[in-house]
Amino acid sequence: MKLNVIRAYLKKEFIDLIRNKMIILTYLIPTMILILFGYGIKLEVTHTRTIIIDHDHSKLSLEIINKFSHTKYFDVKVKNLTYKQALHKIQTNQADMIVIIPPSFSKNLYKGAEIGVFIDGSFPLRAVTLQGYVEKLLIHGFNIKLPIKIENRNFFNESMRDYNAVVPGLFGLIFLVVPASLAAIIIVKEKEVGTIFNFYSAPIKKVEFIIAKLIPPFLFHSLNIFILLLWTLYLFNVPFRGNFFIFWLVSEIYILISVGIGLLVSIITSTQVAALVLSVIITVIPGFLYSGILMPISSMDKESYIEAHIFPVMYYNHIIYDSFLVGQGFKSNENVLYFIILCIYAVALIVLGTSLVKKAIK
Amino acid sequence: MEILKVKNVSVSYGKKIAIKNASFSLKDQEILGFIGADGAGKSSLLHAIAGVVSFDGEIIYKNYTYHSPKEAEKIKNEISLMPQGLGLVLYDFLSVKEHFDFFRDLRGLKKDEEYEKRLLKMAGLYEFQDRLAGNLSGGMRQKLSLILSLLARPKLLILDEPTTGVDPISRAELWDIVNEMREEGMSAIISTAYMSEASKMDRIMLFDEGEIIASGRADELIENIKDYTYEGEIESKECFSFNKRTYCLKPLNLKKATPTLEGVFFVNALKKGKKPIIFEIPKKQIDIPNIIVEAKCLTKKFGAFIADNCINLELKKGEILGLLGANGAGKTTLIKMLLGLYPIDEGELYLLGKRIKSYEDRIELKSKIGYVSQKFALYKDLTIRENLEYFAKMHGLNMSESSKKIKEYSQMLGFEEYMDNFPKEVPLGINQRFSVAAALLHEPVVLFLDEPTSGVDTVARSAFWKLIRKLKANMGISILITTHYMSEAEYCDRVAVLKRGVKIVDDKVENLHKKYPGLDFEDIFLNIYKEKQNK
Ligand SMILES: Nc1ncnc2c1ncn2[C@@H]1O[C@H](COP(=O)(O)OP(=O)(O)OP(=O)(O)O)[C@@H](O)[C@H]1O
Ligand SMILES: [Mg+2]
Repeated sequence: MKLNVIRAYLKKEFIDLIRNKMIILTYLIPTMILILFGYGIKLEVTHTRTIIIDHDHSKLSLEIINKFSHTKYFDVKVKNLTYKQALHKIQTNQADMIVIIPPSFSKNLYKGAEIGVFIDGSFPLRAVTLQGYVEKLLIHGFNIKLPIKIENRNFFNESMRDYNAVVPGLFGLIFLVVPASLAAIIIVKEKEVGTIFNFYSAPIKKVEFIIAKLIPPFLFHSLNIFILLLWTLYLFNVPFRGNFFIFWLVSEIYILISVGIGLLVSIITSTQVAALVLSVIITVIPGFLYSGILMPISSMDKESYIEAHIFPVMYYNHIIYDSFLVGQGFKSNENVLYFIILCIYAVALIVLGTSLVKKAIK
Repeated sequence: MEILKVKNVSVSYGKKIAIKNASFSLKDQEILGFIGADGAGKSSLLHAIAGVVSFDGEIIYKNYTYHSPKEAEKIKNEISLMPQGLGLVLYDFLSVKEHFDFFRDLRGLKKDEEYEKRLLKMAGLYEFQDRLAGNLSGGMRQKLSLILSLLARPKLLILDEPTTGVDPISRAELWDIVNEMREEGMSAIISTAYMSEASKMDRIMLFDEGEIIASGRADELIENIKDYTYEGEIESKECFSFNKRTYCLKPLNLKKATPTLEGVFFVNALKKGKKPIIFEIPKKQIDIPNIIVEAKCLTKKFGAFIADNCINLELKKGEILGLLGANGAGKTTLIKMLLGLYPIDEGELYLLGKRIKSYEDRIELKSKIGYVSQKFALYKDLTIRENLEYFAKMHGLNMSESSKKIKEYSQMLGFEEYMDNFPKEVPLGINQRFSVAAALLHEPVVLFLDEPTSGVDTVARSAFWKLIRKLKANMGISILITTHYMSEAEYCDRVAVLKRGVKIVDDKVENLHKKYPGLDFEDIFLNIYKEKQNK
């Protein structure tokens, strides 16, 4: 391997990315996705299995039950259960939400009576959406303030803030889509413009060319790991409970996977536009579906569950969620296994890409 | 001693065979020329030798035999390839100097100040080392690619039309350098569209439709066509005429002329049964003022650099005006100002007697002008028909109007059979004609053509000039054209010569001939440039 060749290409690539302003996009897009989606992802939730426990039996409590029953958002059952029994229903996934109207609720209304609301937090995004619905219904309908508690089967997310659920999940999306597109573009650009001849006709090895081409997107996005981490911690106030080193290492490996995908895309495309479109298409969809943002992998049906295991995003996000919210790190065998799987992905993609690159005109 | 032996080499792309069973050998320190029409297979053979495309057959370099790009890796440090196309191997965002750094590192070379300085001087780029390649003129880009291919002091130099778009002065310098390096032991294979260059080479091979059909010294090749070469130009369905000569298989009642290499193409075409295209362009009267475009002291600056310095230019009705000048003289920049593509820094511009100032004026300006750029701005992903439809739409033609026009022009300009091909599938000469058609769709009164004939083969160039002159004669269109083929200046009514952003000559061609009796136009041009050296 000749270092001068790699250095020549690296220098050229850095100058090029800076002068053609690509560098701005490299740092703007990941942050933009994180902020837009972090704030923006909200879902419509309908037919929530709701149990209302009415201890008051007043006109007001009946009215409240009525309100809940007459929207598509809630499927209401009025039951007489103890607090414990009700919680058990949530924990065994027989109900999504419990509303408890305490005795003498209507009498104490003006002294600050409270309704208890318990929402299943296992899918935090849905829980937050539901919280919004309930608040709207009670505050706007009856001007009632209420402490809502979200009951969580997967306890770690007890703080019940949707940023905790959404924002870490975006790492898997961003670092799949963006480095892949950048890598694909900067390789295909040479083909499109014709400068690829410099590679074809000089005594340069394929490996040297590929290393030189993949390092810039890899390095640029390595910095993005830290930028996105800062946003996550200080803008979204997501806690970080895991091991920073593991978080960092697995992110670098994941970026390698992404640039590996970019390399493969660059082999089958010949214009920058095509390379961009193709790399976005093949990364965005799995990046979203199997990120764990829209739906926890564990609650997927069988087919999706298997599909999720084909794409690297699930493994990466598992470790990322662990890093932010749980903190088991490599003490969990699952995390170790997932880490190994990611390493295999990275090596396999890059080796495959390198063997498929042709050093000749097609 | 033989340095290279090519045995039965064929290159094909899918079903299309680009070059079939080519065999030849190259001696040590020999300079071999490849000539032939566009698409004859020269580039493919050069690519095979340079090991950048898969091929069938066998190539032996020194004592090393290779059959594939992979096997060719071993010899790539001794070979340099400069592929065809305007500065194809350059990175727009890298400066001239950074290109040198890049290529030096790429090939693991030591920095040789003296040699690099010499190359830069030769290319006229010494003063522009900090300029980004994207801001160089077409010819400057070409010259930069060229000197970069010389940087490694290759043992075997492969140049694919290196002088396309390069001015006559630099062309002469290039030959000096190549000859000098040959003295030091280099061999070269060079394809070219300039026949005056080809005749300087040791040996020439003529390519046609994927085969090598003749080879020998220039005088040997010329010998075979002397029976068919006559003096003067005539209008005929069976004979080609170009550059003051007529080529015909049947005997003509004209004086025989000493043939040139150019004639080889025409005679070859005739022997293949090809006929010159007759352009049927309907006569039309347009009612416009006598002076179409008038530029008064136009100036364009890029930072501190003055690309065009107070240029006065008049283009009259029904006139062909040749805009000549060395690379980087400011021709393209001037045309872009006339077109409204660049803002004018100083000076005034009048079109059809009206001062062009505001944005609205510029829009109107565009609808009166047809423009073919130096790079032919065609869309690669669209077929020729779709390209034309697109241009028609851009100019606001409606569907029925545009399909009628497109049909008309494709017949008139003789590229009807290629309508459903993509631009890269057809020869450059066809692309060039359909670019002209695209520029004509909205019925402009003036055409700006920026190096339309660069890289186009001789037969296509002769057809092109016929077309240009017909357009002028029958449609009354005025044409402003740039070219580096000095012989083509003969077809202009008047020429304006630019040097470093200054207009140094503006005169009728016949007057210039009177002033420099007995010289051909290339020599006239060189003389003018030399005389005005110290301006
Ligand atoms: N955007 C730009 N920035 C800086 N310099 C520029 C820019 N565009 C053109 N130039 C310079 O202006 C000069 C004139 O360029 P122009 O393209 O007009 O030359 P030209 O006469 O058309 O040459 P050629 O025969 O090579 O096509 C050149 O030195 C070129 O490098
Ligand atoms: Mg130009």
